[in-house]
Amino acid sequence: MDEALVQTVIPPHLSKVLGVESQSRSKAEAFTQAFLENSVPWNTRQDLKAMLTHKAVILNYARTTQDQDKRSRKKAKGLNAHQKRAMKVFHIRPEHQRYELFLPLHNLWRQYIIDLCGGLKASCNPQFVQQKLVKADFHGAIITVVRSKCPSYVGTTGILVQEFKHVFKIITKDDKLKVIPKRNSVFAVEINGFVSHIYGNRFEQRAGERSAKKFKVRGTIDL
Amino acid sequence: MCADLERIPRTLLVSERSSFQNQKNQLSAHVGQHHFNYKVSVLLPECGSAPPLLDAALNGFSSFYLIRNLPVYMLLDQDFLQTAVHQGSVYGLSFGCRVDEDPCVALMPNGRLVLSLDKDSFELLGFERKKYRFTKRATSRYVVSVNFSDSSMTPGGRGYQRLLTGLKTHLPLVVDFLVSHHPGGTTALQPLLSRYDWSEHRPSVSTRCLANLPCPLLTSDLQSCDPHSVLDWLGAVDADVSCENSSSSFLSTMVCPEPKTTASSALNMSVSGFLNPHEIHHLIQELRSYLDQSQLASWVALTVHGFTDSPVSWAGDERSVLWSGNTFYSLLLFKDDTYQLHLATGAHHTCPP
Repeated sequence: MDEALVQTVIPPHLSKVLGVESQSRSKAEAFTQAFLENSVPWNTRQDLKAMLTHKAVILNYARTTQDQDKRSRKKAKGLNAHQKRAMKVFHIRPEHQRYELFLPLHNLWRQYIIDLCGGLKASCNPQFVQQKLVKADFHGAIITVVRSKCPSYVGTTGILVQEFKHVFKIITKDDKLKVIPKRNSVFAVEINGFVSHIYGNRFEQRAGERSAKKFKVRGTIDL
Repeated sequence: MCADLERIPRTLLVSERSSFQNQKNQLSAHVGQHHFNYKVSVLLPECGSAPPLLDAALNGFSSFYLIRNLPVYMLLDQDFLQTAVHQGSVYGLSFGCRVDEDPCVALMPNGRLVLSLDKDSFELLGFERKKYRFTKRATSRYVVSVNFSDSSMTPGGRGYQRLLTGLKTHLPLVVDFLVSHHPGGTTALQPLLSRYDWSEHRPSVSTRCLANLPCPLLTSDLQSCDPHSVLDWLGAVDADVSCENSSSSFLSTMVCPEPKTTASSALNMSVSGFLNPHEIHHLIQELRSYLDQSQLASWVALTVHGFTDSPVSWAGDERSVLWSGNTFYSLLLFKDDTYQLHLATGAHHTCPP
């Protein structure tokens, strides 16, 4: 191991987090020496010099291969909804709720959609684009509520950060995380001049399940 | 089935009798609160030619303006609100929009703007609506009512911004707009008139002289003559429908209510356009002075009709034309300074005050 790495100064922001003080070089060397002398067991004191030279010390026992196989055969069980809510896996912390943080995600999504539709040129057939979009994932899209039975939702625009079965969670330019129910609303998604309207009433499936599901035409699209 | 229809009240008639001597009479309130007047017709029995003062009053109705293709968000323009709405009174109504099909707009002098929208327009606009009081289903029309004197509706306020964005981007409504301003003149309406195509119109006046007209004997007592039949007869005279009920004619079975006399001559004058309540008030005063001076006539009738396509009725209350809703009022003036006022509206509107 490179000795220089062990003896570098701790970066200032880490030192605040860890709660330690960085010491000067000479003090650090003296401390390290004293610490090592104290840690080494008594009976090998005579052989200190030999101990302190670089030798590969095996720290962990090597496990036998049989135990390893047994361990890997246990499948990882997922968390159930109760545990997910308790662990707050899908909770976005306030310090992460910033619009700028999700802009790279939006660019990724645009690339993904353009690749999915085989390059969105102006001459593309809208039908074809729609068919691809129905199975597509919308995390990272900028969506706008165009019509809604509840007038206060109309006009909200933002990047979609999470899609659940019945709601969209979007983050607006004002860094506000808004939860918009899918029911009784119509959303608009715009890519390269193609504007698609998503009728929320027909879109109430989880994102993963939607890619496998067939859409049936039933009822009206009136809100 | 006809019997069922008869039982449901389709129209509402409120009759009021009072005197001009009575300090608490509400005539001026009623006249002033009927903001949008389309036609005023006057019936003068025992009168051969138009008295000059009355003629002058009828011809003196101020002109109104028709602005073509006005985007509705311009009504929220700050200059317009400052000059026209907060100083003086502005009356505005959308023209050519059918109230049960198209979005209609009404602007009242107390600074209230009413938008009557259908379901799709309302869902696009994104502004909350007033609760509709009369039908449980309430899915036919959506009324958005805004008061410009509210704190949130001052320019820069939250509600104002939201309505402005809604009318500019989400639902760009464009209507032909009839507008008139009370102290008159084009200066107050300049912010609107300077930007759009407009034309000035004068109310049209017509006069008809009728000979040997059977008239009911009207006295100031309400019980003497049934108001419904009197109003029927007044309407028949105004529409030039014959009241003879002759057996050979199948067009009309209307009759003049009993007891009746025959007036040798009568004058029917009407003025139609976009009329101002202040001038109607002035006309009523002229009619009073004419009646005082005239020897032959004992009563005079004045009828004011509202617009069919107005989204509001009395004092800005909601109105729906689907429930037989032409609002009008008839005023019968008598020689002894008393009057009878009949206010008519559809049964599903708020009762006139």
